Amino acid sequence: MRTLRRSHTSSPSSSNSSSSSSPWIHLRSVFLVVAASSPAYCSSSSSSSDRGRLKSPWSRRKRKHTLSPQQWRSLFTPDGKLRHGGVKFLKKVRSGGVDPSIRLEVWPFLLGVYNLNSSKEEREVLRTQKRKEYEILRRQCRRLLKCSDDSINLRETGGTNSSGDSGSFNQGIDSPDYEDVVSARDSLSSEERNPYVEHSNHPCSALMEGDLGSRQVTDPNSPAFDTESSDSDSSDDPEVSNTFPTTESENDPSKEDSSPSRTEVQSKLHTSEDFSTWQRIIRLDAVRANEEWIAYSPTQAAVSVERACRSAEAVGLRDYEHLEPCRIFHAARLVAILEAYALYDPEIGYCQGMSDLLSPIITVITDDHEAFWCFVGFMKKARHNFRLDEVGIRRQLNTVSKIIKHKDSHLYRHLEKLEAEDCFFVYRMVIVLFRRELTFEQTIGLWEVMWANQAAIRAGIGKSAWSRIRQRAPPTEDLLLYAIAASVLQRRKQIIEKYSSMDEILRECNSMAGHLDVWKLLDDAHNLVVNLHDKI
Amino acid sequence: MALCTEEEQSEDYLFKVVLIGDSAVGKSNLLARFARDEFYPNSKSTIGVEFQTQKMDINGKEVKAQIWDTAGQERFRAVTSAYYRGAVGALLVYDISRRQTFDDIGRWLNELHTHSDMNVVTILVGNKSDLKDLREVSTAEGKALAEAQGLFFIETSALDSSNVAAAFQTVVIEIYNILSRKVIQTQELKKEDPAWMGSGKTIVLHDGNQEVDGQAKKGGCC
Repeated sequence: MRTLRRSHTSSPSSSNSSSSSSPWIHLRSVFLVVAASSPAYCSSSSSSSDRGRLKSPWSRRKRKHTLSPQQWRSLFTPDGKLRHGGVKFLKKVRSGGVDPSIRLEVWPFLLGVYNLNSSKEEREVLRTQKRKEYEILRRQCRRLLKCSDDSINLRETGGTNSSGDSGSFNQGIDSPDYEDVVSARDSLSSEERNPYVEHSNHPCSALMEGDLGSRQVTDPNSPAFDTESSDSDSSDDPEVSNTFPTTESENDPSKEDSSPSRTEVQSKLHTSEDFSTWQRIIRLDAVRANEEWIAYSPTQAAVSVERACRSAEAVGLRDYEHLEPCRIFHAARLVAILEAYALYDPEIGYCQGMSDLLSPIITVITDDHEAFWCFVGFMKKARHNFRLDEVGIRRQLNTVSKIIKHKDSHLYRHLEKLEAEDCFFVYRMVIVLFRRELTFEQTIGLWEVMWANQAAIRAGIGKSAWSRIRQRAPPTEDLLLYAIAASVLQRRKQIIEKYSSMDEILRECNSMAGHLDVWKLLDDAHNLVVNLHDKI
Repeated sequence: MALCTEEEQSEDYLFKVVLIGDSAVGKSNLLARFARDEFYPNSKSTIGVEFQTQKMDINGKEVKAQIWDTAGQERFRAVTSAYYRGAVGALLVYDISRRQTFDDIGRWLNELHTHSDMNVVTILVGNKSDLKDLREVSTAEGKALAEAQGLFFIETSALDSSNVAAAFQTVVIEIYNILSRKVIQTQELKKEDPAWMGSGKTIVLHDGNQEVDGQAKKGGCC
């Protein structure tokens, strides 16, 4: 706690540095400047009491329905472009979320996998490219897993006791490119995958020679990489081995700073230990992921035992025998994607909580490669929650604290008295974006609204097209934090009157699960945004 | 405690005890078993911190153990200092079926010593003793490490309940005993009063009105 408190005093410098390094925050401030200078905004800001009375898109009376399949289809031009640059689309999603039956199609747009201005054709090209990139990452994961398994075997045969069943398990992994063969047949949409040519190279040989640390890089130009990629049809296309095609960088200005670069990969992934630690924790978390998702994906819930076990073996999952097939399958998908992500973004790697964020995505998105890129889109912002230096989490706790301070000085003074003004008690809500406090459906509803907000900011929507909406509530990167502050403010009376320690507030926050109304929360958050966004 | 007045006998004690150890060694399930007699075979990883307060009867006196639980991943630093602050007991947990978790005990001990007082009553807990066939860490090894580090030692199974209550009781009784005979420590605390609050020394807390009363009690008791 002392560390946290210290961070309050140092927060101006740390938030400065983060805003200069993160175009997301930079964008937001640009947006606010634009907003502040626009006449519409000025007139509405002249009276804060007026602003307070403006109905939010989530107020009960105005609460709109979800984006329906018919509406979704009608939003596209004949060549498959979203009309009006997606303005209407985002507005609709922002006010009511997305119908479950079309989430699969809609999320890649919300999460920035597809540009809002892209044509159907462009998206198909991108999709193929992205699929290959994901598969390259997966192959690297398998090589690394193989290496760590080998080193474990060496250690075990060298002396200490080895458990009986690990031998047979390792044989499964030893067979080259087992997962490729399996996943090509196994994927829920297998027709879209190219089966790989089997090859007999020892998957680890290139890495095992010489210095492990310097060879275990994901540099596409490294010899190990070339050997692997020559098996796929992507070998002679330099663009494919580049994880960040220039087309996307152009579309997404946040890309460069907010996402990991290849240089980072090389410099950070020096030891295999880091990655093997992640691999270990990922597997532990995957087999204990909750089962809430099952009702939302009947196809995956009905997966066969054989298929589930094949996919589990393909990613080297252990200790899953006690699980039902659908949970094994879910766990295997979590492992595959989280591991690929750890490699893709080694600055973050894997941190507990990330599986909470991925689980709803793989429930909705049935193809691993698509789910992976949606997750990448989600993590562009959420990755800051998991940073080792904790700058992201501290900034956010600080923001929640400021919101409470400006909105309710009485409550804030009470928190100060309890030495709880750092708002540490909302830590869990911040880090996994309400996933632990809300039901599956509620979480998705909130996230969709949040994603639509972020997509709007990303696309620079807000200058004119959204002037009306902006008056009500400007899209903010921090919508979630306003919602979190709202959840605390909803309990202000209790906190002030009954609670005399931070522990008690923490317990209150931890027990919010099942007692929250998302749309009320968003409505309250909206009021906070309207009244406070220029102060925070 | 025989020396305590009648007034003090009616007071509650609240001891903060922390659970630490690698991911998935069973920290949350030890707590669930102890506090609610529940067990979740696939409980999710803990995010942030959670805690439970459990009443215990020690020598006819009601003692409350506030048991804190957190994620096993080292990365959650922001949690750390809040987590250890004020802790007087610790359960240092590993999984007898995964050697790695035992190998990491040294790291957790360092962590504990960095963030709290050396006097924190600590027990080394080898959990999942029901997994006999998968055992990778022998009881003797666990015992030896505990002796070398001056820790209590016990093997537990949150799954079949064995020794779970005993593990917590060992810690809480020891804290209680130390407190009962700590006239010297009390005087020491008086001397360095300002530093005491944050240093994680033995804290006795009144029910409800916590730190202030706890401190007052320190001064007044015995």
